[in-house]
Amino acid sequence: MISFERVSKRYENGHDALREISLDIQEEELVFLTGHSGAGKSTLLRLIMLMERPTRGRVTVAGVELDKLRRGAVPTHRRSIGVVFQNHKLLMDRSVFDNVALPLQIAGYKDRDIVRRVGAALDKVGLLERERALPMSLSGGEQQRVGIARAVVGRPLILLADEPTGNLDPELSAEIMQLFMDFNRVGVTVLIASHDLALISQLRHRTLTLREGRLVSAGNGISARSD
Amino acid sequence: MIKRFSRAKRKARSTRKEVNAGRDAPLGANRGAVVRSHRRPLQERWFAWRRHHSQSAADSLSKVLQQPLASAMTWLVLGIALALPTSLAIALNNLQDLSGRFDDPARISLFLEDQVTLEVATDLAQELRFEPEVATVELVDREQALIEFRDGSGLGELIDSLPQNPLPHLLVVTPSSDTPELVDKLRGRLNEFPWVDQLVVDAQWLERFQAMMQLGRQVVLLLTLVLLAAVVLVLGNTISLTIENRRQEIIIVKLVGGSDAFVRRPLLYTGLWYGLGGGIVAALLVLLATQALHGPVSNLASAYSSDFRIRGLGVFDSLQLVLSGAGMGLLGAWLASSRHIRNIEPV
Repeated sequence: MISFERVSKRYENGHDALREISLDIQEEELVFLTGHSGAGKSTLLRLIMLMERPTRGRVTVAGVELDKLRRGAVPTHRRSIGVVFQNHKLLMDRSVFDNVALPLQIAGYKDRDIVRRVGAALDKVGLLERERALPMSLSGGEQQRVGIARAVVGRPLILLADEPTGNLDPELSAEIMQLFMDFNRVGVTVLIASHDLALISQLRHRTLTLREGRLVSAGNGISARSD
Repeated sequence: MIKRFSRAKRKARSTRKEVNAGRDAPLGANRGAVVRSHRRPLQERWFAWRRHHSQSAADSLSKVLQQPLASAMTWLVLGIALALPTSLAIALNNLQDLSGRFDDPARISLFLEDQVTLEVATDLAQELRFEPEVATVELVDREQALIEFRDGSGLGELIDSLPQNPLPHLLVVTPSSDTPELVDKLRGRLNEFPWVDQLVVDAQWLERFQAMMQLGRQVVLLLTLVLLAAVVLVLGNTISLTIENRRQEIIIVKLVGGSDAFVRRPLLYTGLWYGLGGGIVAALLVLLATQALHGPVSNLASAYSSDFRIRGLGVFDSLQLVLSGAGMGLLGAWLASSRHIRNIEPV
């Protein structure tokens, strides 16, 4: 579903964020991506959703070679991926409902479908009762769950999460992880970047480890080639 | 920028049944549905596109109205910038109207040679009336003219003492049209006639006036272009500020797959509302100015026993002014947003 072939990313300031990364993530797989901060986890996710372009190498997502996507095709590509951000990236002056409805409005859903799907997504993350609240009035964990509802409301093929449990206590973190595993169970490919090794190790999923931009461990040894 | 749901719709959705319907189709269930969901059917996207237009229009209008003072300032600036060239154009048009009201503005006086008798002069006048460029020919009899001159000038005794009438017969020719070309052509034609001693065109002031009007129109055109550019720049600047204020929002919309067009749409409507308001203000300003001048101009005209009335903007012209304001607003918003939105990318 996601494949990197000898991908390198060097930023303009000369920093090598990723070096010669090759990996494959299968359909319906749930994979953790771990490593110290600055090891390249975020960069890897950003390449998948085309917030960055690689300096060298090729990224393929859902059979599409991303280097062949023109600028105009980027929005459509992003709509096929749900993303959960560490800092939530919610619209603070819009209600929870409007935040979650945003991807559906962009994609052009009917009002009736939007209401139904947003309701289902909020119900899934347990925030149905707060749909009219403003994000400001929610706790960090609740805001994160709004972000998750927004990421899954369009029923994406792929769900990316960048440190989704970053600022949460262990109990809330476990709940959030459970949500991701639920989505994975119904067929969504999930890639979670996290440095919460204690939590990850309990969950028994393949774990990719990055160190200084190199892939040093490909988990179960399946189809990860680090040169 | 983003659609807000009405209370009624929220109520509709909060019934258990609908929520359950949503739950029946679990998120990310059915692979086929998943693949389809990222590109909706054409008809559905068409309806969504139209809905987003009306939504953007309504949202941006309410945002403009939420800041009444700032918006009023923008409208006033645009209105003045649009009203200025419009007023000048109106002034020119009225001057043109006024110049058309002068009686026989272009006249050519043909002073005939001394030996020409009244019969010959009458025949010549008759002949000239058949010329296509000639509207009327008036014969001023030399004897008649002398009597009038004597009565009018108060030099009666002096004139009576003259041995002979010093005045020639005079033919006053009115061209069929006032255009300088035709008057020139007629002058050449008249010079070829016999018995003509001297030919005087009374209408050189008219040519100069026409030339000045021409110059005036050029100046107004230039001024219009400059001020329209100013309108576009003012709007572009306003829209740029709006974009900067909504930077975070734009980034988030782009992150979840919003296209440049999706982001640009509400901004274009913002520009449209500013431009439309500016156009309306301009039309009102022009209306007020012409109303204010109406009385004084009428008084002045009647003092010269003329029924001249100042001619302002008609309904059609006012509408055109308002629409051109809207057009400038749209253009300014387009220029600003296509320049900035492209550069705002999630990082």
